[in-house]
Amino acid sequence: MDFLAEGFRRALALLVSGDAEVYGIALLTLRIGVIATVLACGLGIPLGFVLATRPFWGRRAALTVVNTALAFPTVVLGLLLYGLLSRRGPLGAAGWLYTWQAIALGDVLLALPIAAALAAAAVHGVDPRIRRTAETLGAGRWRTAWTVAREARFALAAVITTAFGHVVAEIGSAMTVGGNIRGQTRTLTTAVALYTSQGDFGLALALGLILLLLALLVNVALQALQGRGHA
Amino acid sequence: MLELMDVRHEYDGRVVLHLERFAVPPGAAIAVVGPNGSGKSTLLRLLALLERPTHGRVLLDGAVVTAGGAARRRVTLVEQRPILFRATVRENLEFGLQVRGIRRAEVNRRVENVAARLGITPLLSRRRHELSDGEVQRVAVARALALEPDVLLLDEPASSADRAAALSLYRALADERARRPLAVCLASHQLEDAYRWADDVRALADGRLSPVTPENLFRVELMAAASGDLKHACVGTVEIAAMTDRTGPAILAVPPTDIFVSREPLASSARNTFQGRVTGLARRGPGGGGGAVHVTADVGVELIAVVTEEAVRDLGLVPGSPVVFSFKASAVRVF
Repeated sequence: MDFLAEGFRRALALLVSGDAEVYGIALLTLRIGVIATVLACGLGIPLGFVLATRPFWGRRAALTVVNTALAFPTVVLGLLLYGLLSRRGPLGAAGWLYTWQAIALGDVLLALPIAAALAAAAVHGVDPRIRRTAETLGAGRWRTAWTVAREARFALAAVITTAFGHVVAEIGSAMTVGGNIRGQTRTLTTAVALYTSQGDFGLALALGLILLLLALLVNVALQALQGRGHA
Repeated sequence: MLELMDVRHEYDGRVVLHLERFAVPPGAAIAVVGPNGSGKSTLLRLLALLERPTHGRVLLDGAVVTAGGAARRRVTLVEQRPILFRATVRENLEFGLQVRGIRRAEVNRRVENVAARLGITPLLSRRRHELSDGEVQRVAVARALALEPDVLLLDEPASSADRAAALSLYRALADERARRPLAVCLASHQLEDAYRWADDVRALADGRLSPVTPENLFRVELMAAASGDLKHACVGTVEIAAMTDRTGPAILAVPPTDIFVSREPLASSARNTFQGRVTGLARRGPGGGGGAVHVTADVGVELIAVVTEEAVRDLGLVPGSPVVFSFKASAVRVF
């Protein structure tokens, strides 16, 4: 128990003192998390809309693919990405291997099916009369889509939270394609894994607390946004 | 003029609507009546250009139109159970006007105006969860009327309203039609309302316009007879006898002109004799004249008989008075 208490004390000291390494890792994680979430949701939510609202040949198969991708092991994703980004791989010329961009790319690929599948479910859950009503009142395709999105806004906010949560908590792909390089590609999850294995429990715990704090802040912000909406 | 031509509409390969022609002329007041599942709502969705018919054409002023586009802005549908957007009543009324790019001042004028006409001004700042079903229906009608469409389609507009609210809704529609050219086509299962309100009553049965008058149409299960063609079918709490060689699912139609109306049961050959009370009297046509009176009675099921004004006087028929409806089994049409 002592070492747990000691760990907490050390963690608090690091956080309060504004330790450069701790906050550097946290800021990098936040940057990657925000970029990856924006890209994944920017692509995934419209894709979910299409899957939920537009009848097209192969729609059911596309939904199956997206839903299957939800369970894609992140280590395997990292491995495939490693193959693509390594010098002999088809994307090797980009020179992204062991950069934060590689981690962000992995996170986008991880969060995209999550955003698409959850957005499809959110839009599918909107009463079909909303779309018909918007159309009969003269709304065009985009205005109708916007109206449906407004009705599903709470569920779509949850899509963003979930995507962000997955991105910042991901470790398999970040470790494989990021390399956990100090000051460059070390994220909160890879750092926690490293410091725990090195026995620096206090530092690992401090980073773990920041990770929790990030998730908490995003949820609080979204709840505040939802609180401003009304039924 | 809004028209459906040679339309056949299918869901999962099943034909739900089959019409050679269905026209809504400018300024018309049309009521479409028929049992549940007869295709009324599908018909309105096709007329509203919300769905494209599997086969056939929709024409507006003689030109073929497709789902969507500018034509949709001239036709507005209010669904049977309308839904309001997650916003205030005022924002709901503004929606279609904003979509059309109408200026703010004009939007405000139209919203205030239509709210006053429909008696919903006190509701303008409320949100949908603060409204009763009847209020939602009135707001939905106001939202459609605010757009000043050429054709207004209403699916069972009085289904969520009490009697007084329904009458007030019909009055508002009549006022609107008196104010400007507006064609209204409504689907209703309440024949009394249809006859009181519409100039033209059409019946749908199994997705087709019925060749008989639309009153007294019932979807039934004809029971097999021990012998002969005299079959019986349960309708509401009564059993109607019909002459037919069919059994199983069918539509029964009892022509209102074939129903004898009396105050006491008659000793006659009629196999169908039902006692009940008069629930309504309607004089057909815009002026309410013409000599024919539609007598609606609850005899265990709602039946309508057509009699002369003199017969109504002689029998002393008023809402609530006891009445006997009789008709022969051979008068019942089976489809």
